[in-house]
Amino acid sequence: MEINRRRFCQLLGSAVLLPRLTLAASAGDNSTKPMFAAAAKGRDGQYHLYLISQQSQVLLDHILPGRAHHTEPHPQRPLLACIARRPGSFIDIVDYQAQRLVKRIIAGSGRHFFGHGIFSHDGRWLITTENEISSGQGRIVIRSLEDNYSIIADYPSYGIGPHELIQQPDSEVLTVANGGILTHPDHGREKLNLETMQPSLMRLNLHTGERLEQQVLPAELHQLSIRHIDTNRQGTTVIALQYQGDAGQNLPLVAVHRSGQAIQLLSAPEPVNRAMKGYCGSARFDDSGRFAAVSAPRGDLISFWDLQDNHFISSVRSPDGCGLTATHNTAEFIISAGTGRCIRHNILSGETTRMPLTLKTAWDNHLTSVSL
Amino acid sequence: MNSVSKPLWPVLLGISLMLTTFGILHAAPSAQQWQSLNHSLVEEHILPRYQALQNSSARLAASSTALCRQPDPRQLKQVQSDYHQTMDAWQAVQHIQFGPIETLMRNFSMQFWPDRKNLIGKQLNLLLQQQDPQTLSTGYLYKASIGVKGLPALERLLFDSTLSDFENNSYRCHLSQTIAAYIAENSQATLAEWNADYRHSIATADSEASYYESHQEASVDMMKSLVEPVEAIRDQKILRPLNEGDQVRPRRLESWRSQRSLRNIQLNIASLKDLYSGTTHSVDSLLREQGRAPQADNISSLFNTIEQQLKTVQTPLVTHLPQAETVKRLRQISDALQQLDRELSAEMITLDIQLGFNSRDGD
Repeated sequence: MEINRRRFCQLLGSAVLLPRLTLAASAGDNSTKPMFAAAAKGRDGQYHLYLISQQSQVLLDHILPGRAHHTEPHPQRPLLACIARRPGSFIDIVDYQAQRLVKRIIAGSGRHFFGHGIFSHDGRWLITTENEISSGQGRIVIRSLEDNYSIIADYPSYGIGPHELIQQPDSEVLTVANGGILTHPDHGREKLNLETMQPSLMRLNLHTGERLEQQVLPAELHQLSIRHIDTNRQGTTVIALQYQGDAGQNLPLVAVHRSGQAIQLLSAPEPVNRAMKGYCGSARFDDSGRFAAVSAPRGDLISFWDLQDNHFISSVRSPDGCGLTATHNTAEFIISAGTGRCIRHNILSGETTRMPLTLKTAWDNHLTSVSL
Repeated sequence: MNSVSKPLWPVLLGISLMLTTFGILHAAPSAQQWQSLNHSLVEEHILPRYQALQNSSARLAASSTALCRQPDPRQLKQVQSDYHQTMDAWQAVQHIQFGPIETLMRNFSMQFWPDRKNLIGKQLNLLLQQQDPQTLSTGYLYKASIGVKGLPALERLLFDSTLSDFENNSYRCHLSQTIAAYIAENSQATLAEWNADYRHSIATADSEASYYESHQEASVDMMKSLVEPVEAIRDQKILRPLNEGDQVRPRRLESWRSQRSLRNIQLNIASLKDLYSGTTHSVDSLLREQGRAPQADNISSLFNTIEQQLKTVQTPLVTHLPQAETVKRLRQISDALQQLDRELSAEMITLDIQLGFNSRDGD
């Protein structure tokens, strides 16, 4: 019965009937303090949004209507926005304290999401990267929380396939990773323009959509897709790249950008760089903003970088590891994997500890710290 | 105890029957079971194949050297025959994509394929034009482009030439000899590292010293070697040359110059079948222990079907590919491979093996 009802509701796509939210953890201070949220594929074959406590307990288990990608916490309220992976069209806004789906946003007609979105620092706007399917052009769309997530602005991203975006610290500037890869929902996830792709890193004014800065890679590296980014408090952006050319090339897969300067490419030592298999999945700064982690899920490893002087520090093995988030400790990250494992690694001490999760699930690409 | 079990047992029996029917009761294999499987696969499947590769590539290196010293038709035939033996050995272990073969990208060095941009042709022609004697050492090849150091480059040199190309101490002959020596070194190093280190790492997969954290984690690498090549063979070795909806593309076939494209696929399938069911402890026996005998039978019969289907395809594929009958048969094989991929993937869930979520379908 339960399964049938759930399936029916999914088909219906109803925001009222669908939420199945359970408060899995019982009362108790530490066990109910949130630590991170992420989308995952459960053993039941369904897609879930989980919130995990500092004691590795499940605080929230929300069934999603499809596979999601990134989860964004609201800066002031107990809300999580979980965004469909490309070419999906839903965003679930969940209140994790009230354990309820607040809103299911559906992409506008002729549009789909790319898996990433953020809340503005002031908490008033939800900002997403979208595909205008007819033209294949990337869009940046701003929705107002005060107005039930209605669209108040819709700008070009000035590129194809915009992926992750970030708001620069203490400013009204957005940094957008235009991955450069053209896809069309009629062709699923097939990449349609690998020969001509031209990724870029774009800075835009949040309020006007004005183009402030554009950085591209040298022409011979145009197949390095700029997809995942993070910015520290100093405004420096770390970039995780994905190479779309022939296997066997050993190109840099990490880059750093500082305002007004060209993108600087960074290579790990040769064996590590090769082991990354041309593919990075996520990039995050640590709490101090000096260190960054970049995951390479195809190479089963996470690389760590000191971005004060742009050098590679070390790597750890993490089979199918992709999701990254900083803890409150300097140089420390949590790493989640498709195998279900979550580890905590400190770059400076070199210590790696496995989180005692009882939940068995395939963690999807991205992980988000939640600390309200 | 009695007072509880009496009223409850019919209910418990009912529930357990129900769970068994739906296949929920099968617990995942134990660490012990994974360890036994890994042991069988390493000792009986992987190591003998790398041993065979080392042996055949050493013979190839030796006969290539002899050819330069004394170029005659018999010796060229011998080198070509040794090339085939080496390619046989490589195709039989091509599916193992973890461990020492990954070190320094040895896998790509052995065989860079498919070569969509004709990197091999371009790089090789450059070498042949320049004829720089400094390029005639394996030391040079370690740093050289991926295109010029492996089996496909050697195939071009050996099968796109006539005997006169190898006479008079020609650069071409010495380059062939150097590439053959490099392949032999690579093969030898791969086996040596398995024996010195990686074999032990798998045997002690739950210890501090191991590369792996658990026996199951090591098994995931083994299972990837079983499942992932099925789709890769279908996509790259069959569908890409078939070029669905358009004219067939024979030159997209693997090893078309040496006219062994179909043989490669046959060796691949035979190897995957051996990995599935050919060892003392096997995936097949593990599935049966988990109560999945019907599914295990299904997978076995699919392997047999594909082997039979491959026998009916006319060779050399490179010349027969344009024929409607060949296309039809290859499509059937492609369908059977797709079916095999589905069945194997489904049983990975039964075995509680997560082949890779972010690494296989990331974003």
